[in-house]
Amino acid sequence: MLDQLGNGLLLGIIISVASVALSLLYGVTRIVNFAHGEIIALGAIATLFLSSPIDYRFLFLDRFTPLGLNFVISCLLAVLICGLFGGLLELLLFRPLRKANVGNIAVLVVTIGLSIFIRHLYLLFATGRVQNFPLELQRRQTYLFFDMTPRNLKVLIIGIFVMVLIGLLLTYTKLGKAMRAVRDSEELSSVSGINSDNIILITWISSSMLAGLAGVFQAIINDVRWNMGFLILLLIFAGTVLGGIGTSFGAMVGGFIIGILVQVSVGLPFMEGHTEAKNAVALGIMIVILLFRPQGIFGKKERIS
Amino acid sequence: MVFLFNPEGALRILINILTFAGIYGLSAIGLNVHFGWTGLLNFGHASFMGMGAYVTLLLMPHAAGREGEITTTGLPIIVAAFFGIAAAALFGLLLGLPAIRLRGDYLAIVTIAAAEIFRLVVRDLESITGGVYGIISYTENLQKFRPEFINNLSLNYEFAPAQAWVGMIAWISIFLTLLLLKRLNNSPWGRALRAVREDEDAVRAMGKNAVWLKLQSFMLGAGIAGLSGALLAFNYGSLETTVFVPLLTFYVWAIMILGGVGSITGPIFGSIIFWVIISETDRLAYIFFENANGQQLAGVRFLLVGLLIMLLMIFRPSGLLGKKEELLLDVK
Repeated sequence: MLDQLGNGLLLGIIISVASVALSLLYGVTRIVNFAHGEIIALGAIATLFLSSPIDYRFLFLDRFTPLGLNFVISCLLAVLICGLFGGLLELLLFRPLRKANVGNIAVLVVTIGLSIFIRHLYLLFATGRVQNFPLELQRRQTYLFFDMTPRNLKVLIIGIFVMVLIGLLLTYTKLGKAMRAVRDSEELSSVSGINSDNIILITWISSSMLAGLAGVFQAIINDVRWNMGFLILLLIFAGTVLGGIGTSFGAMVGGFIIGILVQVSVGLPFMEGHTEAKNAVALGIMIVILLFRPQGIFGKKERIS
Repeated sequence: MVFLFNPEGALRILINILTFAGIYGLSAIGLNVHFGWTGLLNFGHASFMGMGAYVTLLLMPHAAGREGEITTTGLPIIVAAFFGIAAAALFGLLLGLPAIRLRGDYLAIVTIAAAEIFRLVVRDLESITGGVYGIISYTENLQKFRPEFINNLSLNYEFAPAQAWVGMIAWISIFLTLLLLKRLNNSPWGRALRAVREDEDAVRAMGKNAVWLKLQSFMLGAGIAGLSGALLAFNYGSLETTVFVPLLTFYVWAIMILGGVGSITGPIFGSIIFWVIISETDRLAYIFFENANGQQLAGVRFLLVGLLIMLLMIFRPSGLLGKKEELLLDVK
């Protein structure tokens, strides 16, 4: 069971970062974003495109030549691309919908359509092949009580650092306070002089950048697939719900718990020979939480029926 | 349009489209009972179809699993299909009982998660359901009742008689379901159900049990989906868990929105239009990709489904035939 702990921590950091992003967006805009997974995949695919050596032509349908940039720079650029993409989504799609007073449920269905659309664009242009970043293989080492490769340990540390940073930004900066104000009440915040349109735009950008970062993590730890975002989306929902929808701190912890539970459940006695069903455990937990404590572990009570 | 370009085998293609349109249309009718009539945001429709399909098939003579283990005893198809529908409805009740009180977007997440759990568990229970190896050798249960005239026609006009028979049953099922729903819609029960969608508190004030009404609607729609799932299995000829991925649910959603949310007959037209579009996309794929492979064909197809859902929801949320006042999407 303990040998799975390292894997659990790594899955945990991916889900955790992605859950914070989803939760931030939901908190401010009330959009349940099913296209979140596709932004995650964009982070990974963009990094692959930027960092693969130039002679890897077969990656993108032979038509687009990878740029062969330095790996760290590629990751940073990919995160920026995701932010840009999220900003464009808000400006071109979701802001007009909001101005037209389209209901939350209709927007939810729009994000589902968007998710299917983008995901199959990836299938067409990034191909259905499973691909890897141009990084050398590393051997697992034991740290304290878990094993992972040195590179994955770096990912874990960077991820935790980013989340602490996000927490501090949300709590102490003017922007973070404004975001939380819009989350609590859009009308009240706009009468206190906050431009809620700008705040929502910034939320889209930062949420998408975080999602892109989660995608880069996921691709470093595992691999790049066209549908990688959708495969992990329900686990992200589970993490978000477990921590409490709309709470950033809750989503961090919830994401970690879900990641560790999914991997550790493989080692449980009754799961022997049923490793494929491990995601069902996390989804089951999410349903139970939604039914009995819908505000999550850290959320405030709110009307949910 | 398909037929103009393809004089040969035109009837075969037409029957293929009509069969899929019938089966998916039936499923969309069930979803419409959930969303259009009652306002329940169900994103786990694939699991109700799966439940109906698996229970129906497993109760009949079939072969399943890696070794193709043969089960020779079983119920007659009518009885098996009845149990399949009942199982789907019961699954709807089990899922709905705790979940139905949840707000719209939470219900969406719970249903899609429950559908994934269903699929993962079915895949995992290999000894019963055949797991990833699936179920085979069950179509004879239905095909042995195939009327003689289909065979005779198929000799003259070159189409697959087995699929024509499945398609015929799908359309008969649609007809019967619509008769039932028309009656229900005009009954006091149907009026109460629509009242739940419009104003739940008013229904409660009138002394009706709104939660129980919602549950009944959930079971009814799930049962209809169960029947369509079983028909889908007969159309494919072999059944595996990958059929019931969330994309199946989204297909049915696209059909329902296309036909018109809340309209009783809308899903039928939505389904026919949808499948004609889908079969036309293959041609589109060949324009973009010379020698498009199966993956690219599927990619273009789903791309369009996603675009269709998005555009309809933005520009015509009431669908092509639906009434605007019947639409309730502002559930807060």
